[in-house]
Amino acid sequence: MASVILSNLVLLICATLVVVGTVSSLVAARFGAPILLVFLIVGMLAGEDGLGGIHFSDYWATYMVGSAALAVILFDGGLRMRVSSMRGAVAPALLLSTVGVLGTTGLVAAAAVPLLGLNWLQGLLLGAIVASTDAAAVLFLVRAQGLKLGRKLDAVIEIESATNDPAAVFLTVLLVELISSGTGDFGWAVITGVLREMSVGAVMGVVGGFALAAFLNRVDLPGGLQPILVVAWAVLVFALTSLAHGSGFLAVYLAGLVLGNRPVRGIAGITSFHDAVTWLCQIVMFTMLGLLVTPHSLMVILPAGLAVAGFLFLVARPVVVFACLARFGFSVREKLFVSWAGLRGAVSIFLATIPMLAQLPMAPLYFNIAFIVVLVSLVLHGLTLALSARRLGVALSDPAREPQRFEIDLPGQSEHELVGYPVASGAQPILPGLLPSWAQPVLVVREGHVLSAADAGLLMPRDYVYLLAPPKRVQQLDRVFMTESQIWADDSAFPFSGDVRLGDVADLYGLPVPEVDRQMSIADAFADRAEERVAPGMRIMLGHATVEVRAVHGGRVTQVALRFEGVAEEEQGARERLVRRARRAVARAAARIVGG
Amino acid sequence: MPLADLLAPEAVFPSLRASSKKQALQELALHAADLAGRDQREIFETLLQRERLGSTGVGNGIAIPHGKLAGLPRLFGAFARLEKPIDFESLDGEPVDLIFLLLAPEAAGADHLKALARVARMLRDPAVAEKLRATRDGGAIHALLTATSASDAA
Repeated sequence: MASVILSNLVLLICATLVVVGTVSSLVAARFGAPILLVFLIVGMLAGEDGLGGIHFSDYWATYMVGSAALAVILFDGGLRMRVSSMRGAVAPALLLSTVGVLGTTGLVAAAAVPLLGLNWLQGLLLGAIVASTDAAAVLFLVRAQGLKLGRKLDAVIEIESATNDPAAVFLTVLLVELISSGTGDFGWAVITGVLREMSVGAVMGVVGGFALAAFLNRVDLPGGLQPILVVAWAVLVFALTSLAHGSGFLAVYLAGLVLGNRPVRGIAGITSFHDAVTWLCQIVMFTMLGLLVTPHSLMVILPAGLAVAGFLFLVARPVVVFACLARFGFSVREKLFVSWAGLRGAVSIFLATIPMLAQLPMAPLYFNIAFIVVLVSLVLHGLTLALSARRLGVALSDPAREPQRFEIDLPGQSEHELVGYPVASGAQPILPGLLPSWAQPVLVVREGHVLSAADAGLLMPRDYVYLLAPPKRVQQLDRVFMTESQIWADDSAFPFSGDVRLGDVADLYGLPVPEVDRQMSIADAFADRAEERVAPGMRIMLGHATVEVRAVHGGRVTQVALRFEGVAEEEQGARERLVRRARRAVARAAARIVGG
Repeated sequence: MPLADLLAPEAVFPSLRASSKKQALQELALHAADLAGRDQREIFETLLQRERLGSTGVGNGIAIPHGKLAGLPRLFGAFARLEKPIDFESLDGEPVDLIFLLLAPEAAGADHLKALARVARMLRDPAVAEKLRATRDGGAIHALLTATSASDAA
């Protein structure tokens, strides 16, 4: 009986932590505090020095749960990455994630050895623990802050953070072995070891991804089981690769990448399930890490930890980034931003549990320093990443709003999916004949009634239209369903050639344009923003003006149109809204008089 | 800013003659230089520079050449109706016969954009364009242009 009560108690505590973490993220969002930090703090508050007083020091459980959570988060990162947007970013990112990790490890060691009175191996171990940037934190912060970076820059940061864990994990494990066995065989073993980890991880990840895609397309699973299979598969790929002395982190990212870029049945369901699972993993991992740490022992080491963090973020990372990216044509501003975007997250804390598990003498020191470094990163980078991107001029202006689109997977095949669009309330009726030939309207929901496409005829404002279309071409439908202000009034646009520099256009009209875009031609600016290929109808907002793609030739934007509609219509819209509101108020008053 | 504030009655040219885009811009620059008390070549160069980035022919036979002129005290507009439509390298390829010239001070900012948007929006109305094409009376054209914008800005 006691064990039943105990297990219910554990459940109660765990669930409460998740609920508290989730709810406090609302508060955090309001104040702009980094959400991951909130989970960490909730864990610390519940822990032995906090209100909860929970004693949790199970490093083995942390290591296991943390591995699974990281595997799922990395898999999700791969799932969302488009291979087409990786052009030109793979080489610099891989250099950063191999040579960069080794460089960071060495530099941090050089600072930590005199500072903390460690020997060289111990210094290198500390360096390796904090050397890898955290994919989960990076992806998360960039996306959560609505930051839109140039395609290449975004891809470099993302690929680096997803691929540098193998090098850091390997180095950490190797150094732990060296320290615990006391033998000093270094040098080539490191390089061949890292290469083996990466190649085994790469092969198993790619094979795992293809196998999963083929399985999902061939075998009919009962509804709802598909996403679960995918999550389990991700953890399986991770565990299997790790057992085969490959990098499980790299493998699981690549498996996600393969799956996300292949036609797969039910992929919409899988990604939306992963959205939720990834969140849960973040919450569980950070709350657990918060529970694990002992805040009062952190305080003792705080000055040293801050010094290591400061050296890492202000010296080691910039040095390594500038050295690695020297030959890839990045501007100084871009290199500065990559330097700043070296976020440390759960991976580092998680790596710090390895010396704990191996019961190395200085293990608590590594753990506490890693924890401080991560805390500093979460606060510092979490609060300033978006700001620094804008200050450095590497953040792109906001992409124009897309029409709302719903995608529904069809069971049994991957060539078509069902997409739903609302016809905007101010739009002109759409003639079904205007739709592309590959898009087949199936049904129309009008004022709560379901009509067949044939019965519906003209698509009227406020209709919901459901069409069958090949998933790859769905984006092109957006153009048809743009709202009135987005599409009509085309005949007052000023044409510009794609070769014109964006800065010249902006200067002409005093439009705000991010520094990174100034020297770029309009065609390049669009190429930089496009997830896949540029297409007519894509737009960039520059203050009150909109630049819209008119013509594309050979994958490049050749002609755009510039409009200032927003400026004049803004006043008009406000006036119309006032008039409408007044009319409604009069109507309501009249109804009350008549009715009352 | 209502269009009446930037378009003087004497800045309307109801039957301008020009055989090419370049000539039309030259003629307009000459008239504008007279009215605004500026150098004709400076205005012409400004307009030409703008056209190099992309034609200001916005379609339906309408062009809105424009540019910024340092030291201009305020927005300056001029309107010309061409006797014979000319090629203006517009998006839709249609020859142009209605031209609204707009010059802005260096620091006009949002006012420049607002005026451009307003001019574009007014001329886009097929009824307005039709009336503008139907008359050679400068006073009537001026009234038409400023009346439409006056009701707009109310």
